[in-house]
Amino acid sequence: MAAPGSVRAALQVAEVLETVVSCCLGPEGRQVLCTKPTGEVLLSRDGGRLLKALHLEHPIARMMVACVSSHIRKTGDGAKTFIIFLCHLLRELHAITDKEKDSFFSENIQTHGRHWKNCCQWKFISQALLTFQTQILDYVMDHYLSRHFLSIFSSSTKERPLCRSSLEMLLGAYFCGRVGRNNHNFVSQLMCDYFFKCTACESGCEEVLELVDDCFVELKVGVTGLPVSDSRIIAGLVLPRDFSVYCPADGDIRIVIVIETIQPPFSTFGSEFILNSEAQFRTSQFWITERTKAIMKYLQKQNVKLLLSTVKQPDLVIYCAGLNGISVVECLSSEELSLIQRVIGLAPFVLSQASSQYEPSNTAMVKFCKPFILRSKRYVHLGLISTCSFTPHCIVLCGPVQGLVEQHQDALHGAFKMLRQLFKDLDLNYVTQASDQNCTSSPLIYKNSRESNDLPEIVNGSIQRPYQDTVVKNKDELAKTQTYLKAYSNLVVPSVELETNILCSTPTVTLTATYQTDATLRCFSPNKARIMDDHEPFIESNSANSTTENTRREISYENLQVTKNARKGSILPVRDKSLEMCTSQSYCFSSVPAGCVLPVGGNFEILLHYYLLNYAKKCRQSEETMVSMIIANALLGVPKILYKSKKGNYSFPQIYIRALHALQTNQPMISNQTGLESVAGKYRLLTSVLQCLTNILTIDLVINIKRQPQEIYDQDSEEEL
Amino acid sequence: MSRLEAKKPSFCRSEPLTSERVRATLSVLKGIVTSCYGPAGRLKQLHNGLGGSVCTTSQSAALLANLPVTHPILKILTTSVQNHVSCFSDGGLFTAILCCNLVENVQRIGLTPTTVIKLNKQLLSLCTSYLKSEACGCRIPVNFSSTQILLCLVRSILTSKPACMLTTKEIDHISTLILRAFLLIIPENAQDHIILGKSIIVPLKRQRVIESTVLPGILIEISEVQLMKILPIKKSDSFKVALFCVSLSGDLSDTGEGNVVVSYGVSLENAVLDQLLNLGRQLVSDHVDLVLCQKVIHPSLKQFLRTHHVIAVDRVGVAVMEPLSKVTGTRPIGSLDSISPSSYGSVKDLCTAKFGFKHFFHIIPNEATVCSLLLCNRNDTAWDELKTRSEPEGILRDDGCTQTELQLITEAFCSALESLAGSLEHDGGEVLTDGKYGHFWSVQADSPSVVNWPDVLSRCGCGLYSSQEELSWSFLRSARLPFVPQTCLPCEATDSAGNLTLDCFTAKLSGLQVAVETANLILDLAYVIEDKN
Repeated sequence: MAAPGSVRAALQVAEVLETVVSCCLGPEGRQVLCTKPTGEVLLSRDGGRLLKALHLEHPIARMMVACVSSHIRKTGDGAKTFIIFLCHLLRELHAITDKEKDSFFSENIQTHGRHWKNCCQWKFISQALLTFQTQILDYVMDHYLSRHFLSIFSSSTKERPLCRSSLEMLLGAYFCGRVGRNNHNFVSQLMCDYFFKCTACESGCEEVLELVDDCFVELKVGVTGLPVSDSRIIAGLVLPRDFSVYCPADGDIRIVIVIETIQPPFSTFGSEFILNSEAQFRTSQFWITERTKAIMKYLQKQNVKLLLSTVKQPDLVIYCAGLNGISVVECLSSEELSLIQRVIGLAPFVLSQASSQYEPSNTAMVKFCKPFILRSKRYVHLGLISTCSFTPHCIVLCGPVQGLVEQHQDALHGAFKMLRQLFKDLDLNYVTQASDQNCTSSPLIYKNSRESNDLPEIVNGSIQRPYQDTVVKNKDELAKTQTYLKAYSNLVVPSVELETNILCSTPTVTLTATYQTDATLRCFSPNKARIMDDHEPFIESNSANSTTENTRREISYENLQVTKNARKGSILPVRDKSLEMCTSQSYCFSSVPAGCVLPVGGNFEILLHYYLLNYAKKCRQSEETMVSMIIANALLGVPKILYKSKKGNYSFPQIYIRALHALQTNQPMISNQTGLESVAGKYRLLTSVLQCLTNILTIDLVINIKRQPQEIYDQDSEEEL
Repeated sequence: MSRLEAKKPSFCRSEPLTSERVRATLSVLKGIVTSCYGPAGRLKQLHNGLGGSVCTTSQSAALLANLPVTHPILKILTTSVQNHVSCFSDGGLFTAILCCNLVENVQRIGLTPTTVIKLNKQLLSLCTSYLKSEACGCRIPVNFSSTQILLCLVRSILTSKPACMLTTKEIDHISTLILRAFLLIIPENAQDHIILGKSIIVPLKRQRVIESTVLPGILIEISEVQLMKILPIKKSDSFKVALFCVSLSGDLSDTGEGNVVVSYGVSLENAVLDQLLNLGRQLVSDHVDLVLCQKVIHPSLKQFLRTHHVIAVDRVGVAVMEPLSKVTGTRPIGSLDSISPSSYGSVKDLCTAKFGFKHFFHIIPNEATVCSLLLCNRNDTAWDELKTRSEPEGILRDDGCTQTELQLITEAFCSALESLAGSLEHDGGEVLTDGKYGHFWSVQADSPSVVNWPDVLSRCGCGLYSSQEELSWSFLRSARLPFVPQTCLPCEATDSAGNLTLDCFTAKLSGLQVAVETANLILDLAYVIEDKN
């Protein structure tokens, strides 16, 4: 069964999702309770989690959820805004197509033909969206929006001292949207304290964030049955297990890490041990015992007081350790081991070293090592002495039910992800076009591309160099795409449609065509341009043929890689351009510096809305104007929901008018809310949504396969058409 | 090969609290827990009609564990209460009732959840800061030099559990035992941070309650056959003990990941047995009197030890290993070859004892903080009930006891919780409160509703005040003047009062917080998503 993919269907799906997530949005949002078939209950306000818990059936909905979760994995924030923004974009698009519908009817085309025509129109829009994303958005961000940015650093020197109150405001706003209303102040305060306690020096922020983000599961201890207000921060590392042997020790405590059993085994893997007599057995056992004792004695001489082991040690080892005053902690997980190694930079102890007389370097100092009791459960508490900028601390998270503890844990983890993104620079690059010469060259490209269909070998060969890593993967697929394109042109589609289609994508084509600097490659550049162009129909073909999420995601990822490469490559032509003088474009590279923030409450959206409208007025090309208008209007959706419950002076129209007035008269915008949000996060969200929308628009057919889902999704599912 | 099943879509409901079904189930649950509360609480009988045991109880831990709850909202409520109980083992019903009441009342008032949650939080912080402040008149400091108040605490907990079916005399006996067991595990030379010992509860059913007892040291249950083999114990001042955690059964230990090839005619069993007997010889020459083993001892080794007048007890199990090594001062031995003399420990005395129809091996330590509490009862259900009740001394233990003063709270004080206090009265009587202390008074239902209150009332709910004092009583739930509770509690009052009803302060406070937090959570729910897979 096949159903035509349409903006209307996508809009219906998005509207349903919007009603679910909008109740959790912002400071006034409420909680959602998820139950699992196993009987567990989970409380959540995290959009990503909610969408996953719904187990949606509708293919477009599943695609949206997949897009959201890939965005969340990267940034840790913005799932709910994603859906709302996407819904508003679709609504705007739907309104536009409705308007144009009359003209379609008057032309009196057959239904089937109309469907194809619709598809082409959407593809046309999606191309324009892509152009917008790669060029206009960065331009507007850099030229207009950047003057409004605030920074969470108190000065812009090299050290970038972090401003505590700004960070508090940022985290406060973040947790407002993620945890229950009565806890968000407490949790954000806890997080802030934790961050400053863990950061030894100002410059090590990024390293700390990276480590905490990677190892967060090991750095928290969840406790149920206590009120949330009992959560606290503990200096040192807490491991969720008891000592196998505990010997109280003071002063100089050295630790070693072992990753194998200390007692030598009779035989190792792949070998055979032949016993010829009982005496031999006795001596070998005696040797094993003596050897174990010797190693433990050696460790004691090295002043080792604590043995951390990733494996279970035999009774003999435990006994000897106790005799020598060495505490033992067994069965460390590999994640815990890697965390400890990252913090103290200690390599595992090699047993063969023990017999040699050299001074070993594989021991490290700890401040203390003692048992720690939480709710009558025993833990191991280690005071590690850090060798990096991370000072080890643990968070004990309490809550009356497990679901609440998990919610706080997720929110904290997400906050660290968000901060990590915030501390990175965000690159912006765009093309300012001086003239419209590209349009004249486009027919040429089109013609050449027809030829290139016959020469797939050359095409593939020629792109090897600029695409280096992606080309290997794409090689076969490209060949397929070529054939597909042929089939495509043979279809009912009027050839005029195809032509406009390629025409409209010229901005992308020229952008990518110009970055190849090699003189030898230059002659092939039309071909290459063609290839870049091919990616669009290729994606379309795939999305049309496969309803499975898996392949979809993979493809959009590949597409992303290609565009990324294109961006990277575009650094080179800057110097070549002046020599060859073949283009009249100028490339701009700039960046949003790390730590840029804006006040919460839809400030980013209103600002971008305003400047996009301004840009649209100046714009000459009609599709650019249209896309900018669509996006500008859709941006207002988020603040509209945020201010829904507010009355009077704080209602949305009032706020909107005030903001526009302030912008027109060049006055500073007054925000009535205390709280900040990351600009980079918002920017990434916007680009992710646009990408998702482009994917949705390029779908023309949804095909329902009545087969059981299979473990491995075969790559050539499109051949079953 | 397993087939992948497509996941079914989840079931999504909005505004779960508004549905009539949820309200009905919530009020049923409230009815169940309310009627169980307090010393006059009613018992509940749980059974599934398909066979299986019948549970008769009135305590929250047993009740909620056996009560199947289907609706996710109720599930949240019950799990949060259960988590609280597993933490403090007290105050579960209090938490459950308060939480139910809050949710119900808010629905009746009809305010938006946002406002209610803010208000609840505000009120909670007022309550906790008052309860923690010095001005709070309902706290009684515990003086460990006198057992009176501790005894009252234990007794009031036992009294509130009617399913134990104890007579007043039995309650007195058991609470004394529990208190004695608790005091035994407090180490004598107290430092700033006290690490409490452990008390092991030994079950003994079909015996009279009054035969329960507390013994210092550890009881190890042994069979009658084993008992016959144990030789008469010779008189001595102290006994040398060796405690093994490694198996002495003569099986081969782990041989590694590779293969071990044994030539024909070589008997490894003999080699290991030789090793065991060597070990035995070493033990004998070290003058060890008692060998304890967590796992199994080889019969030959046992025989060898017996001939040399060494007592061997095996299969003691991993649970008693830690207390055993603490009591005897031994280090569990994990080696068969050579034993360091420092691993041996000693005990003061050994004896065999018979309680009821069970035989025990009794290890009496020199000085240690471990004791055994023998609990007897006539039938199983009542015994289970009693066993879970002996945990409260765990509260005191878990708190760390860093202070020598425990803060206790007397029952029924907190104007915001008056409906809860009201639920303490089950006999159809009226509840009164006085204007001086804000305490709780209970009246028989058939008493004339008139005038002379002091004649009808003898003591307030907690037993702290008697009716001689001139107090102005009023009905709870009726309009009354705001009053300022008397700030400081007279110390002599605490001493003079004979039979106080007390509650653990920390458990109560945490219960209060958990209840309000859970209620806030439930009120904040906008959607319920049920995964039906």
